[in-house]
This record gives sequence, C-alpha cells and structure tokens, in this order.
Amino acid sequence: MADQLTAPRAASPATTVAATAVTMARMKLAVLRHSRTGQQGQMTLTGVALGGVLALGTLWLSVTQSPEMLAAAYAVWLLGWLLGPVIMGGGDETLKPEHFSLLGLPPRRLATGLLMAAFVGFAPVVSLSALLGLLVAGVRLGAGNALLAVPAIVLQLTLFVLVSKVAVGALSLALRSRVGAIGAGVINGAIVAGLGQIWVFFWAFGETGVPGLVWWLPSGWGLRAVEGDLVALAALAVLDLLLLGLWAALLSRRTGARRVNARPRRPMTASTANGALIAKELRTWSRDLVRNHQLTFALSYGVCFGAAPLILGWNGMLPYAGPIFIVMAASMTSSLYAMDGTALWLTLMTPGATDVRGRQLAWLSAVTPVAVLVTVGFGAISGGPWPLLLALLPALLGGAAGLVPVVSIYGLVPGTDPHKRGGNPLRISEDNNGLTGLAYLMLALVAATGAPAGIVAAQYGWAGVPVGLATGVWCWWFLGRLAEARLRSHGPELLHTMRTGRKAASSRSKRFEDLPKSKQTVAWIGFGLGAIPLFPQGIVACVFLANGQLNHSWFLATYMEPGLRWSVAIGMIVLGVALYGMGLYAIRQPSATPETAATETSAPETTATPETATPETTTPEAPTKAP
Amino acid sequence: MGDALELMGLTKRFGEKVAVDGVSLHVPAGSFYGLVGQNGAGKTTTLSMAVGLLRPDDGHAKIFGQDVWSSPEQAKALVGVLPDGLAMPERLTGREVLTYLGLLRGLPKATVEQRARELLAVLELDEAEKTLVIEYSTGMRKKIGLATALLHAPRLLVLDEPFEAVDPVSAATIKTILRGFVAGGGSIVLSSHVMALVEQLCDHVAVIDDGRVAAAGTLDEVRGGRTLEDTFVELVGTPGDGVEELSWLTS
Repeated sequence: MADQLTAPRAASPATTVAATAVTMARMKLAVLRHSRTGQQGQMTLTGVALGGVLALGTLWLSVTQSPEMLAAAYAVWLLGWLLGPVIMGGGDETLKPEHFSLLGLPPRRLATGLLMAAFVGFAPVVSLSALLGLLVAGVRLGAGNALLAVPAIVLQLTLFVLVSKVAVGALSLALRSRVGAIGAGVINGAIVAGLGQIWVFFWAFGETGVPGLVWWLPSGWGLRAVEGDLVALAALAVLDLLLLGLWAALLSRRTGARRVNARPRRPMTASTANGALIAKELRTWSRDLVRNHQLTFALSYGVCFGAAPLILGWNGMLPYAGPIFIVMAASMTSSLYAMDGTALWLTLMTPGATDVRGRQLAWLSAVTPVAVLVTVGFGAISGGPWPLLLALLPALLGGAAGLVPVVSIYGLVPGTDPHKRGGNPLRISEDNNGLTGLAYLMLALVAATGAPAGIVAAQYGWAGVPVGLATGVWCWWFLGRLAEARLRSHGPELLHTMRTGRKAASSRSKRFEDLPKSKQTVAWIGFGLGAIPLFPQGIVACVFLANGQLNHSWFLATYMEPGLRWSVAIGMIVLGVALYGMGLYAIRQPSATPETAATETSAPETTATPETATPETTTPEAPTKAP
Repeated sequence: MGDALELMGLTKRFGEKVAVDGVSLHVPAGSFYGLVGQNGAGKTTTLSMAVGLLRPDDGHAKIFGQDVWSSPEQAKALVGVLPDGLAMPERLTGREVLTYLGLLRGLPKATVEQRARELLAVLELDEAEKTLVIEYSTGMRKKIGLATALLHAPRLLVLDEPFEAVDPVSAATIKTILRGFVAGGGSIVLSSHVMALVEQLCDHVAVIDDGRVAAAGTLDEVRGGRTLEDTFVELVGTPGDGVEELSWLTS
C-alpha cells in the first residue's frame, strides 16, 4: 500500500514538472488542431499573416539597420505582448487554470505547465521568428556572439510570454472590484491612447532618433547579451524566474470566488415594457464590472488621446475627445448580445417586446451625458470648431446606437454565459479573435457614420449639424429596425450559436469556405485594405484639411495641390467604402434570401446527400412564413 | 378540448447526427406529461423545438392549436418555459428579474409586483433579496426559472429537468406548486431521467430513445403492470450486458 502511494512520487521533481508541462503542451496542441477550421481559423490566419509581416520587418531591421533600431523593435514587441491581451480581452486562454484546479498541482508546477502550453501557439512562433534577429545580430558580430544568441532568444521569448500572462493575471485581480475595474480602465485607456500619440512624447522630449531607453528595457537585454554583456543575460534569466513566481502567485489567487457588488438595490420605477427593458439594461451596465471597465477604458482613451498634444501646447485635438470616446465605447461594446449569453432565450419567449430599442436607449443613456459633457467642456476650453463638434456628436451617437445592436447580432460571436465564465473577467467568449475583429469592425463603421456630417461641417460649417442629426436619427432608426428584424427572424439560430459556442456550422465561416477562391480573395482584399483609404487617408485627412494642417506626412491629401486636396480625401473615402462593399458583395453571393440563410444556419451539412439535403433546403421556409 | 401541446414529426439534425427523428406527441389539456430518456436521447432538443427556442428541420409544434412558428405571439403567450442550463439576466436580483419580465410581458405594474412577491415567498427566494442571480446556487436558479415560467399565468408549462440539483425540501415545494397548477386546469410537460419522480407526478409519459418515441400514452399504458424503470430499461437498453466492473477499484 505504502509502495503504491509513493510510487508515482519516486520520479524527481524536475521530471514531474517536465511531465506536467509536456502534457499541457500536448493538450494545447490538440485544442489548436480542433480550432483550425471555420471563422476562428480564418481570423487566426489573418493574425499570423500580419505577425509574419511584422516579424519579417524585424528581421530586415536586424540585417540592415543599427542595433538601436532592433532594440526599439523588440521594445514594440514587448509592448505588444504586454498590452495585446489587455486590449483584446484576456489573451490566450485555451487552457485555463480552472481546468486543473481539482488536480491539486502546486502553483509553481501549474504555472510552469501553463507556461509551456503558452509556448504552443501562433503568437510565440511568430515572435520567435522575430527574435531570430538576435541571431542575425550575433552573426554580424562573431561566432561567440551568435552562440550567445541562442539562450538570449529563449529567455527573451519566455519574457514576452510571461509578461503577457502576469499583466492579464494582475488585471483579472483588479477587475474583481469596482474600483479596480474603473482604475484598470483608466490606466489601460491612457496607455493605449499614449501609444497612439507617441509622436507627441518623442517630440516633447526632443528625441530625434531612437530613445536610449530601449537599451534599458528588458526587451533590450537579449540584444545586450548578444553583444557580450553576460550580466544582461543573467538579469533576463532572473527576471523570467521572478515573473514565473509572480504568475504562480497570481494563479493561486485567481481561482477564488469573484466579489460581486451587493449594495442595497435601487427601487424599481419602471412601469412599462420599454421602461423595464431600459432599466434592466442600465442596471447591468452599472453592475457588470466588465462593462464598467469597457466604458471607463473608452472615456480614458478619448480624453488622453485628445489631451496628449497639450504637452506640445497644442489644444486642437482636445475637443475631439468626446467623439473619440463615442467611437471607442461602441467598439468596446460591440459584443453587446454576446455578453448576455443564452439569456437570449427570454427575449425569444417574450414576443412583442422590442428588445433592440430598449438596448439602444440604454446604451445612449449610458454614453450620451458623458460624451456631451466632454465634448462641450473641452470644446469650450479650446474654443473648438463648434459646427464640426456639434455635427459629429449626434451623427456618431446615433450611428453607434444603431450599429452596436446590428453588429452584435449579425456578427454574433458566441459569448460565455456570465455565470460560467472562468477566473478571468476580461474573457467573455471562447472566440477571442472573433471579438477583436468585431471591435475593429465597429471602430471603422462608427467612424464612417460620422463622415457625412463631418465633411459637410468641415466644408460648410453649421450646415453639418442638421446633416449629423439626420444621419444619426436615421442610423438609430434604420439599423435598430434591421437588428430587431434579424433578432425576430433568426432568434433560434442565434440562441443555438450561444448555446453551443459555435456558429452552428453556419452562416459566414462555412459559406466563406464554400466560396470560390477568387471570391475569397476579393473579400480579403476588400476587408483587409478598405480601412486604410477610408479612415486615415479619407476621414482623418479630411479633418486635417478642415483644420488647415498640411504637414502630416502620412496623409496623401495633404501633399496635393490645394484644388485637389478635398477631391483626393473624399476619393479615398469612396475607395474605402467601395472596398468594404466589394468584400461584402463577395461573401453575400451564396445566400440569396433570408430564408435560405436560415436554412444554412440550421443545416450544418452542406455536403449532405440529395435525400437529406432536400428537406433542409425546403422545409424550414414553411415555419418562417409569417402570417 | 384539444391538445395542450401537439408535436408533429419534429426532426432536428446536427451535422451527421439526427438528434430528433420525427417525434410526434399529443399532450392532452389538463395532463401532467413526463418525458423520459437517457442523456442525449433528444429530450432537450425536442422541448426546445416544441416551444420555439430551436428551429426544427422538419415538423410542427402547436400549443393549444397555435403554431409555434407561424403564430409565435399567440403560442408563446400560452406557455411558460423552464429551459435547462440557460442563462438569466444575471446581474439582476430575483425580484428585478420577475418585475422586468412581467412588464415585458405587458402585465400591469401592480399585478407584476404582487405576483413577484408571492412567487418569491412561495419559492423561498425572498430572503435572497439583495443577491444577484449570478450568485445563486443551482437550485435557486431552477426556482427563479420556474418563477419566470409561472409569472404570466400560462396554461401550459414546459419544464426541462426541473428537479435537477434541487434539494429535497425545495423539490417538495415545487411538486406542490406543479400539482396545484394541474389541479387548476393547467397542463405540464416535464423531462426527467428520474423514473420514480415521473411515476409519482405524471399521469402521461413518453419514452424517448435515440431521437424517437419508443412508447407514449398514459402512465399505466406505458408501464403495464411493472415499474416504469423496468419498462424503460427494457425499451432503451439491455442491462448487465457489456458492463464490466472496474477491477482496479476493488483490489
């Protein structure tokens, strides 16, 4: 008996740790194998392609440029690992610590195992190829340096992965309380906005080249090691160990219960169906810490982005903090329906209630007061361009209130039911790539809804305000109606998607794969490239033109002859919209009618035999025929 | 009086697997109907299609003669549903859930308040006044689900595993409520894999096996002179065959 008990422990601790690690890595590999297909696979592919380009760029730097440039590039990679998961909702959580909580693994062993699993994935592989730049740098210096590059690469990659894990762990802890959620939102928003405005800081600090700081950041230690600085190599190893310990500590705290706000409840005043919907939604807005975080993030981002140029004494961007806040808030809440998970069944079982309108009004009442306050307040400080601001405000608010439900329903990424979420509060869905894609799409679409009013206001002043009001109201009304109709016609399919966590072998991904290669290419080009002409080269350029700022090197329109500037900027917007339209057109081809789309959603087998295919393509039409 | 619930040839495929294969059932008005079957037999899928939460590939479902898919408004007003394992508006308290859902159903505010108060008291949820649904235990979740199903005074209740993870005291409460509902002229369809419970409560029963109806009728018709469990095991499987003991557990 005693023999049996001790037998499994006869192996040395190191072997056990290694065995755990290898097992977890294999689990991760198995999961990845199963999620290669479908929409998620497509998203991953895009990410890998993008990362590959960045990695190639880094390698190119290592071959052609000075070591400073390489150190700077690695600083950017580190920042990406640090912030990526925070912005994109919790990072890689294929294997969750909760999965192993019943095994009674010691925290260090659990952390080591999960770390090993974290190395299995596309992001680490992409980063590893970028880190090969260290080897190139070593080879340029000599054989000994090249040899040093090997441990440096391993330690540096470990640092990247660990930094991201620790950041997520710390944030998860913060998000257990309201103060933490709001604080994290403010800080994250500020950091991300600061990155977007990084040129301001460089300018302010008089840095013309690469700041010397990059050598001192841990991201530069690998390069220093390659250059022969063994202390840097040792420091990197020590830092890795420290982070591993920290992460293990965070993991053991994570599995504890979440604290939920339990203050006395406000009395209920709603007395109508619509009032009930709004109240229900508003209470969720104020109680769900994830939503607290989303809105605070958006506000902090908008304010910091607008205020950053104040460092240079320029307040021209300040009044746009409000509009930026609206766009960012819409982007952060683009998974509105997914966040409620399968609670959708109640909406389906309560016919007659207009769920979408209630959510739109609740969204507006959560965002509008702050947006108006920020816009008007900052506009007053900088004496800002009132026509433009007052045109953008209703246009963006209406656009966002229309787009949030429509995007979150049409592009539904199944969310995890709130009571089944793991210890990571940022993680609201198993399909993180899908959520990120949705957030970016929303960013683009909402900004586009401000374009007509913005352009008119920039050209003709106050005429923009009625245009903004008109497009805002129209977006709110029309898109809301679209969302409501979709919810009615596809309710059961949406619920099924939520329930199974999968797009019922469904609509887009499956259909996308069924498209001929040429159409897929068209769609990728459309969606992939549409944003560049539409936003920076189109809308942003318009804003710069309107403000008479012609020295921004990135914007084509600012280089043009005066007479051509507006034509180029507007042409860019048209081009962007056309590219998006082209992409949409390409993927919409196979679904001729809503009925057949519904059929495809409920009938996973497109490769079925004729006998089974026939009922699938015909019968569901009957029940959808409303009286 | 016709059927409270009528299912005609309901069929649902998930990929290669036919989850529900032409299920037809008649639930007479005023009956307490039990749906029994193994895990994965298709009970939840059938009930989801019956009430309009899942679109069937084929077949129809009618609630008191109203087609669930062609006239959903009328059909859904007549039925109260307790699905298994679905979320609620998690960040509301029990009272808030009931109040808001009642208002969404178009009930007057005074009625909603009174019904919410009574339901919370009867189901012993009124002590958890400040607790959000997300913090509820599994048993409490079942009870608040049942309360939402009862709130608009439906004539048919469709309950998916209403007694799973419910403690014996709460189960007794729920049984009393359900018996009272049927005695008052209501009809109930519930699914379960606890045979004793179905025998105790139901007057009609259907055995679902592998997506098909293996037997259906009054309780006595289906079980003959035996217990429901014996009948069930005979219908859906062969006990003892191929089941080996786990030798390493006993050594």
